[in-house]
Amino acid sequence: MAGTGTSPEAVPLYDLRLQPEDVRAVMEVLESGWLALGPRTDEFEAAFASHLGVGHAVAVSSCTAALHLAYLAAGVGPGDEVIVPSLTFAATAAAVIYCGATPIFADILGPHDFGLDPADVERRIAPRTRAVCAVHFAGYPAAVDRLRALCDARGLALIEDAAHAPSADLGGRKLGTWGRAGAFSFFSNKILSCGEGGLLATDDAHVAALARSLRSHGMTSGTSRRQTRETDSYDVVGLGFNYRLDEPRSALLLSRLARLEPEIERRRELTRAYRDKLAGLPHVLVPYDDAGVGRSSCYVMPIVVSDDGRRDAVRRRLRDEHGIQTSILYPAAHEFTAYRDRFGEQRLPHTERVARTEITIPLFAHLDEATQDRVVGALGEVLA
Amino acid sequence: MSWTVPLTDIVITEGDRRAVAECLEGGWLTMGPRTQRFEAALAEWTGAPHAVAVSSATAALHLACRALDLGPGDEVIVPALTFIATANAPRYTGARPVLCDVESPERPNLSAAAVERCLTAHTRAVIAVHFCGYPADLGPLRELCDMREIALLEDAAQAIGAEVEPGRQAGTVGALGCLSFFSRTQLCMGEGGAVLTADAELATRVRSLRSHAMTSGTWDRHTGHEVSYDVVDVGYNFRLDEPRAALGLARLPRLRGDIERRRAAVLRYREVLVSTPGLTLMWTDADVARSSHFAFAVLFESGEERRRVQEALVERGIQTTRYPVLHTFTELAPLAASGSLPAAEAAADRHLVLPLSSHRDDTVDLVAGAVRDVLGRG
Repeated sequence: MAGTGTSPEAVPLYDLRLQPEDVRAVMEVLESGWLALGPRTDEFEAAFASHLGVGHAVAVSSCTAALHLAYLAAGVGPGDEVIVPSLTFAATAAAVIYCGATPIFADILGPHDFGLDPADVERRIAPRTRAVCAVHFAGYPAAVDRLRALCDARGLALIEDAAHAPSADLGGRKLGTWGRAGAFSFFSNKILSCGEGGLLATDDAHVAALARSLRSHGMTSGTSRRQTRETDSYDVVGLGFNYRLDEPRSALLLSRLARLEPEIERRRELTRAYRDKLAGLPHVLVPYDDAGVGRSSCYVMPIVVSDDGRRDAVRRRLRDEHGIQTSILYPAAHEFTAYRDRFGEQRLPHTERVARTEITIPLFAHLDEATQDRVVGALGEVLA
Repeated sequence: MSWTVPLTDIVITEGDRRAVAECLEGGWLTMGPRTQRFEAALAEWTGAPHAVAVSSATAALHLACRALDLGPGDEVIVPALTFIATANAPRYTGARPVLCDVESPERPNLSAAAVERCLTAHTRAVIAVHFCGYPADLGPLRELCDMREIALLEDAAQAIGAEVEPGRQAGTVGALGCLSFFSRTQLCMGEGGAVLTADAELATRVRSLRSHAMTSGTWDRHTGHEVSYDVVDVGYNFRLDEPRAALGLARLPRLRGDIERRRAAVLRYREVLVSTPGLTLMWTDADVARSSHFAFAVLFESGEERRRVQEALVERGIQTTRYPVLHTFTELAPLAASGSLPAAEAAADRHLVLPLSSHRDDTVDLVAGAVRDVLGRG
């Protein structure tokens, strides 16, 4: 991160470098003077839909907004339950609460795979269950094939939180296209980022139409269409929001989308290199396997330390002694004050273990091997 | 299809673009130093002790309602003539909006007398809208709200920089004030908004709920100030990002001049249109002096006349718009019966918003001439 590290040789968790053509694309929009939802957003939506191989893509203001619209489109409402992982960003569960429904936390498979455990999901299905949301952690596919079959059999909607997975697949089918709707994130630290932004992908025309309507107040026509004289008035149907993306952000995403695949390929190389370098390190478990890397979008590099009492000290020493920034993905949502207060204490053993032992180490497209060696060397030293 | 005279025309200067380009080249796109500087600059510019940048004015209104702990069973009085978000914000919290009539078609803002008729034991707040940038009469509203111990909120989405009380700007009189930076507003950045408040506790609450009620943000963790976080409430992602904050920062120093150019255009409109048969000017000269001129609207004798003028202007390539009264929308129809809010309904039916920009006063005579011409042929 240019000019913001704690020391000149600090290694940031992620580091975004935009290309001159990205900046140029935004400048062109600004020069045009049309900033609200318009032709660039249409173009980006078409390009992303085609990239996923899905019928509809609706650009929104954040992945949180996309999740909210996805749950609403799945019919989630007051009194309903939605089964979600706890090892995820708070938005996965918060968006359930926006609908007046209750998030039911299910456990993950374990420290080797942070994906939702379909067996635990099945145990938690109750009469009020409406939907299941799977998170593709770090871009590694959750078992959405099994979850889809389970949801179909039980009449539930499968929603995918694909915030980490803008281009990952399971069996040749892109993540985010397995369920009723997939929610993507373009937040600044994501693989395809624009600042704040998100997108809902779906093959269901009704879901797409509802998302498109509710992202802009349920208005039957938008500013852009009134601008082109297609209509001069509008009705409002449904309780909508301002979840719009604007044109400068769509232009940035459109420009960056063209480089997404090579960038992810580079992340896979770096992830494989990390796996090799970490293989001999004691007290460290690296989740997932080499084959999984090829299907993942490799958003971040998670490792698990064997002793949960040491994790925070390890992170502090990496930062203070080696200038290496790390993160925790994630503190368990069910243990947050807001969720404990509302839904009480709950035990999710695998989730809790990972939440106490996981460390996310630096990964970004222009990371070099020397820096990777430095990170792994420092880890070896502080874990010794 | 492009208009000869669009409703508004936005000019992003070379300096504005450079500010955004520098931000993009720096690579930090999320809540960071530019957002902090924008918030500080906005607080100073408006005179509000606290300014919190958010993703839209809708988000600002939603957060304002949450900050006041509005919820199911509560009622919030809103004018029937406003953008839909004013009425939806209480609904997001489970509270019920109560549609209230406006003072008159010529001055279509909430009046204390009309608000008083809507008060019940469940009323928790009043949202005063400064329609088109013209200040609502906040003095009597504030007195009424204080007396009844209910909150006064300002929907100042259209009114940044308007003088609502002597020396006080729109958004700084109520418990919380909400601004918009949507692309048609005086300070536009695409999508964006802000919450203003003098109350440090409310500001902290809004700031927390804007970003999922997390006890630390990405920037704090990036700069090594925090290692982890708790989530202490059900919050949202209503953050603004750095490129938009950069754009806002670059444009803010020109805002006063932009507003004055809009006022000059409005004064010219009024001069040309003042004694046009079939047309009524809205607001008073004193209102014009205090407004920040988001939009310029005039009244025609009837809805039919308004439609006739609007269609004739379309033929001439002149873009116009209007605000439907809220209970004509399918979604809000249950809130009020047709005919029950006569001043708001008449204002909605008879008004038409004519083109207005910060930098194009050359089009005012053209538009005003076209309006006079169309009316002359009636």
